[in-house]
Parts: sequence; structure tokens; C-alpha cells
Amino acid sequence: MNVVSARGLTKTYGRGRAARKVLDAADLDVSGGEMVAVAGRSGSGKSTLLHLIGGLDRPDAGTLEVAGSRLDRLTERGFTDLRRHQVGFIFQFFHLVPELTGEENVAMPTRLVNGHSSGLARARALIRELGLDEVSGRLPHTLSGGEQQRFAIARALVNEPAVLLADEPTGNLDADAARTVLRHLRAVASGGRAVLLATHDEAAAEIADRVVHLDGGRLRA
Amino acid sequence: MIASARGAWSRLRGRRGRSLLAAAGIAAVAAMMGTATTVAYGLATGFDRAAERADLPDLIARFEPEQVDEVDARVEALPNVASRSYRQEATEVPLASAGQATSSGAVHVVGDGRRGYAIVAGDDLSGAGDEVVVERGLADAWGLAPGDRLSVAGVDARIVGVAVAPDNVAFPLASAPRVYVASQGLGAQLGADPGLTNMALIWSQDPSRLDTTLVQARAVSFGIDNLRFLTRAGVQVQLDEAAGIVIALLIAFSAAALGVAGVTLGATARAEVQRRLETIGVMRGLGFSRIGVAAQYGLEAVIVAVPAGALGLGVGALLAYGPSARLLESLNELPPGAALLAPLAGCLLVIVGLVALATMWPAWRAASRRPAEILRGAELTARPRRLPYPAGFFGLGARLVAARVGRTAATVSVLAVSTALVLLMLALATRLDALQNDPASLGKRYQLTVNGAPDSTLPVVRDVPGVAAAAPRYEASAADSFQLGETFKLIAFPGDHTEYESPPVTEGRRVQTAGEAEIGAGLANALGARRGSTIAAQLGSGREVRFRVVGIVAALGNEGRVAYVRPTRLLEGDPGLTPAIAVRLSPGADPAQVTSELRSRGIDTAAVGAATSSSREFLGVLADVLRVVAIVNILIALFILTQSLALTALERRPTLAVLRAGGAGRREVALVLAGGATLVVALAAPAGVVLERAVLGPAVADMAVDYVTLPLSADVGQITFAVLGLLLLALTAALWVARQVGRTPIAVALREE
Repeated sequence: MNVVSARGLTKTYGRGRAARKVLDAADLDVSGGEMVAVAGRSGSGKSTLLHLIGGLDRPDAGTLEVAGSRLDRLTERGFTDLRRHQVGFIFQFFHLVPELTGEENVAMPTRLVNGHSSGLARARALIRELGLDEVSGRLPHTLSGGEQQRFAIARALVNEPAVLLADEPTGNLDADAARTVLRHLRAVASGGRAVLLATHDEAAAEIADRVVHLDGGRLRA
Repeated sequence: MIASARGAWSRLRGRRGRSLLAAAGIAAVAAMMGTATTVAYGLATGFDRAAERADLPDLIARFEPEQVDEVDARVEALPNVASRSYRQEATEVPLASAGQATSSGAVHVVGDGRRGYAIVAGDDLSGAGDEVVVERGLADAWGLAPGDRLSVAGVDARIVGVAVAPDNVAFPLASAPRVYVASQGLGAQLGADPGLTNMALIWSQDPSRLDTTLVQARAVSFGIDNLRFLTRAGVQVQLDEAAGIVIALLIAFSAAALGVAGVTLGATARAEVQRRLETIGVMRGLGFSRIGVAAQYGLEAVIVAVPAGALGLGVGALLAYGPSARLLESLNELPPGAALLAPLAGCLLVIVGLVALATMWPAWRAASRRPAEILRGAELTARPRRLPYPAGFFGLGARLVAARVGRTAATVSVLAVSTALVLLMLALATRLDALQNDPASLGKRYQLTVNGAPDSTLPVVRDVPGVAAAAPRYEASAADSFQLGETFKLIAFPGDHTEYESPPVTEGRRVQTAGEAEIGAGLANALGARRGSTIAAQLGSGREVRFRVVGIVAALGNEGRVAYVRPTRLLEGDPGLTPAIAVRLSPGADPAQVTSELRSRGIDTAAVGAATSSSREFLGVLADVLRVVAIVNILIALFILTQSLALTALERRPTLAVLRAGGAGRREVALVLAGGATLVVALAAPAGVVLERAVLGPAVADMAVDYVTLPLSADVGQITFAVLGLLLLALTAALWVARQVGRTPIAVALREE
């Protein structure tokens, strides 16, 4: 069953002669348990595609359905609910809150949903699962890049989203750390979630179930 | 230069939102300075301006009516006299117009020569039969204008002009409204003898040698009864004292305004420079000098500061101009008008200079690093610390704000000063209210008075249920014989006056015998009198009575220019003095019931107020000025909080964007910002309370009145009100900034990393 289904997605930045169409009637389906890598040159629109699917931005045209919700019919509040319950994000630069410890970073999204105490237990379980037990009380600037990205993965998963979106998750990591992160993402997909990652990394493409290329605003297999 | 300006303008347009935020901050600071400048400049120069325009004489002498020729011969012989003119002043003259009437009008019959007043509407007297010029206070209070009719002692007159003379405060602050008539015009109809005068106006050649003229005038005054002098300097001292509280408050207010200016502008500039460190690194890499980089930032700052500063100053001046003009009018002074533009222009220069410096300094410092280092260091976030804040979004906000220690300390400092100022104004308002309505604030322990009653009334009053005590109270106006022009009040009760009026003794003891006096600290200051000194009081009867000072008291009434004595010697000096009856009520007695009981026995009473009804209006005007200052101050506090949160939100856009990407809505973002604002308030509120109670309150009280201890510490209710108000401002600021954050697309905010 498709967790993500996009048809004719179009997005243009700028206006008039400065307008640049980064997505031009792009189609994409991702089902639960599937890991799909989106490859393409810098500026080809990979991040834009993830932002649209994650409800961070709205397309100019096309239809988009994520976890059963038609995004073109959602209000702002609906988008917030979608991000809160159905989508997890991982960024290239981790974006951990520097004032919070690793564990606090992971637990922060659980405050957005009912049952914060069970969320806290989930956060601790994920931290254990990702091998971060010993460093969970440390502030981000004292952690390695790989550790920071694993905390970011835990944070993205803590509210048990249907789809995990990873934007260049290994772009800022050394090879070893990148392998560890990709292994964890693969495990997430194997657990039944849809995983979509935008990447330049060939290793990431290799580990994915499917690779789609974004070129000239269109997606092709 | 033009190309640089164009470039700067284009860069500012490119970041319109932040430029507008900086402009709003500058405008708010400028509004504060505009308010302070308008009131302070108006008060500081009002008397001189009015005196200049009115051609106010250097010396005014009042005396019993004499032949003009006789007086003129003596005045002509005085040294240092440039010119002179004479008037007849008639008091207790009935005036009436369109439903308004008073029996205490003062008619000045003016002759040839200099007038000593300024016409502010209509024309001066031409000498025609029915012309009258009215003082502005009367015109404002009764709604009179040139062309209207006024009955003067029953004679119908035409108002031809409105005048201002700053030798006294205006009606109704002064109890007698003044009108001017020409001696050959309405004066003749009123029966004024043009050959007589009781008032001489003297202009000196050299005002600094006026003391010589005064000594000579005193020496040649034999045969002239009830002679009293009033100097121009003496008038100014009295008026300055009346405005003392406002001026003192404005000094504190202006200091806070400058503090706010420095902090907000500095913080904004630093954040902007930090944001653009990479640009600075590139500029340096391309060969720009440090001065070139700093100058470019300075130019941008000036382009923003000039219009924003001018707008803020204009708004502040407009807000304050009305109340301050009313204050000046009540003092018979003139508002500054176009003359205010010069100090406002000076303020604009200060603001623009301050903004340029606050912007150039961090740019200069940033540019002093090596370009590669600058490029590497293009990072906004300070190194975080582990701090014991609450968990959740609220606690996160506190941590985000606390991460910027310097800015948080500066914001807390300025907010604390603002809080202290608001508390001070609340305390001052309470004090003014007490002065207006609570007799106890002036040390009065009686609640009712009976005026003009025969001696037989006293036992009747004492018998009325609810009356604890009643006694005759004598009051006489006097001038000091040694220092002419210093007037004061003599108050006497038979026996112990502290049963009825009990200002605290600050030095010496209470009066015990007929020849002794305890004097207010205001009078002691004016005369340089101490315990053991002798005061010589020249009474309205023309006689002089002397008392030995045995104590100094903290009396608030009449600016502390009072002396408590026993009636014996006072009545020797003025046997015609009639007392009022002071009525002290039993604890719990209902004043209305006692009043009604007394009325049923044919005795009319008056409730004892703290200030006279005319002073009450003056205090009301003061309160208006304070209200304007308070409103601007509250807006500034709101701006400081908003600016601080906006800067935090600006710097931490990626952090907030990540929270939003994870499902945080506007409510959660507002919670984060509210946490930050609450931390600032939690630190600023106690600091503000301490500042008000320990520093500002006592300092302003000392500056406002030196003849009494004026308690100006905020009470618990006022502190609670201020703290709740601050929290409300914090919430407002958080909601507003959260709204702004919510408008930025998450994807855009994430790209800014």
C-alpha cells in the first residue's frame, strides 16, 4: 500500500524571467517498508520534493497523498498534524537543539502528542537501539557527527511516523558513520515504514530498494 | 558617496523585514526621547519665555493706595531703574459671564507705559470705554474669547484680548482671576481714581543689581503702608518648585531612554553584523579596509535612523505637547512652539550618531579579524551551557534566551529600569491622589471646618455626636520682613496644635509659649532659618510680629512655608483676624452624618481636602503628564521584549524551523518564546522593585521636595500590578513574534543554515 503518492507535482521558485521550475509534473509512489533514494545534481529539486512530501511547503500544482491525507486539501493545522504524527525528518546538518542533551532532543517531539510519559519510554528505547545510551546526557556540540545524526534519527522516529524523510543524511559524515546511519535507515524501512532519502551518496543509493533520478524537474527510474 | 548610498539603500530593501524592525526600535527610543525633551524643555524654558514675551518687570511692589505722583517721585529716585509703570489693583471684584461667576476677581487698572503682560489672543486695551483683557486661565476655565461679554463689578464689558503674565500662576490654580482695564476706559466707569496707585511695576537697568534697588526702595518707603515686594527671580523659584516632581521624573525617564537606546540599538546592530559575518569576510577578502566595512554599515544605519528617529521624535513630541502645554498654561507660562524644534533636532543628531556608532563598532570589530577566520566563524549560536531550566518548550525558550548572556543581561537591565519607572509613577500617582484627597497626607487630623462662625458656635459644635474635638484655627498670610518677597502662612491653635495638625518634628521641639514658632522645612530653607533664629512676619495689617524658632517640622502644605505659633502674639499683630473652627471627628464617625447634624443646627461645614481645589487641578495636570510618560514607558517595555524575542527568533530560525518540521504549531512556538520572555521578566521584575524602592523612589523624593520626606516606595498591590503587567507584555510579545515566525515557510528557514 502506498504511503506516499504524488501525481503531477509542480513547484516553481521566483517569478517572471527569474522563475525556475524545479519540479515539473513529477510522479512518485512509495509504499510502507520501502526505501527509495532520490538522486540528482545539486539544485535539481531533491530537497524541494522532500519538503513538499513532508508538508513543509506546498506545491503549485499536482496532487499529493501522504499516509492517507490529501495534502492539497489540508489547512495549516492539518499540515501541523501531518508533521506531528505521520512524518519524521532527518537533515544533513542534524539540526539538534544545541541547548538540549541528546535525550532531551529525542524526547522533545513527544511533548507534541498525547502520552508524553510513554513517549519518553519510546525515546529511551530508541536511544538504546541506536547505541547512544552512554552519550544520551551530553550536549550536541560534544558529540561526533555520526552520534548527532543517530540522535536525529531517533528524534524523527520517536512519534512513530508512517514516513521518514532524510535529506542528505550522510552528506556531513565520514564513511564509517555514514554506513552506520544508512544501516539504521534500512532497519527503519524493514520495520514497515516508508523511507525516502535525497542523496548524492552512491552507498545510500545501493542500500535503497529503488533509486529515482530527478532531472529537469521530472522523476525517472 | 551617492553610489554608496544607493548601494546601502538597495541592501536595506533586500532585507526589508529586518530593516523595518530596526527602524521600529529606533522610532520607539526616539519617541521616548521626544516625550522627555518636550516636557523637560517646556518646563525648563517656560518661565523665561513667558517673562520675555510679557515684558515682565523685575520688581513688583504692592502697597496701600497712594498718589501716583508721590510714588513716582520716590521710584524715580531709586538707582538702577530703567522704566516704571503703575496700576491700581482691586480685589474681591465680582466677575460674571454666561452662567459663570466669582466674587474674588482681581481687576488691574492699567495706565500708560509698559504693561507687563503678553497678549496671546485678540488685542490690547485701546482706551475705549468698555474694553477688558482677561487672563488666559480665566478665558480657558470659562470658555471666553475676544468678542465675548464679561460683567466686571456689574458693568458690562467687551473682551478685546487674552493675556498671560507669569508673575503668578493662572486661574484657577490662583484663586483670583485677573482682568485688565484701561484707566481712562472701563477703569473710569468702575470709579477708579486715575491719580491713585497701589502697585508699581519696575524694570531695572541691570537685573543683577536688583538687590541695591530693593534696599533703597525699602529705605524710602516711609509713609507707604503694607509694602510688599515680589521679584522676578522669586516668582521663578516658586514656579520651579511646583514643577519639581515632574522634572525629576523626566531626568530618570530620559536616562532610561538612553539606556534603552544603547542596548536595543547595540543588540540589533550586533545581531545584524553576526548574521552577515560571511559578507564581511568576503568584503575583507576582496580588499575592503576595516574603515570601509564599518563605514558601509554606518551608512546603512544612518539611512534607517534618520527617518525613523524623526518619526519617533515627532510622535513623542506630539504625545507630550498637549499635556505639557496645559501644565505650562496652569503656571501662566508659554509652550515652546517652534523653539522646540532645535532641541528635537539635537536629539535626532544624538540618536543618529548613537545608531551609527552602535552599528559601526561591531562591524569594525568583526572586520578586524582575518578574513578566513571571519568566514569560518560565520556562526550565530553561542556555545550552549547546561543550565537547570524546566523541560519542555517553555524551558527551551528560557535556555535559548539565556544562551545570549550579554544581551539577556542588557535586556534585563533596561526592563528593570522600565519596571522601576512604572512603579515610581504608580507610587507618585498614589501620592498625588493622597495629596489631592487625604488631609492626613498633609498632617491634618481634623476632617471638617466651619468658616466665619461667631464665637458662640464652638460649644455647639463640640456637643454634636461624632465630634471628638473642635478648636479655633487662625491662619494669616505673612511676608518675611528681612527677606522681602518670601511669603508664608502663620497657623495658630490655642494650646497644643498637634491635636489638629501634626507635621513631624525633624529638629528641635514643639511650640510651648507665645513667642515661639515651629516652622516648616520649606520656610527654613527659604529664609536660612534654624533653631534659635528669629522670624519677623509682616502681616496683612501692616504690623510686624516676631517669633523665635524652636523647631523645624516636615510640613507639606504650602511647600513647607508655614509657621505654627500660639494665637496671642498673632492677634496682637492683627486683631481683626477671625478663626475658622477645626472639627476632629471621633474614630468611626460618619462625616456626612456629622455634617448633616451640624447643618440642622444652622452650622455650615466644609470638608477638609489635602490640596485646595485649584491645586487639585494642577495635580491633575501633573498626573496627565505622568500618564503620557507611563504609556510611552509601557510601549518601550513591550518593544524591548519584542525586540529581544525577535532577535532570538531571528538567530534561531533553524532551531524553530526544526521544531515546526517536527510538528510544533504556533502554540508551541509561542510557548518557546514565552519561556524566554518569562525568564527576562523573572529577572527584571525583582531588580526593578529593588531599584525603585532603594534608589529611584528616594532619589526622586529628594529631588522633588527638600522640605519633607515624601514616601515614594511602591506598595505590594502596585508591585503585583506591575509584575502582572510585565507578564502580560511578555505574553503579547511572544504571541506577536510567534505569529511572525509562523509566517516564514519552514523550508525557507531551514535553508538559512
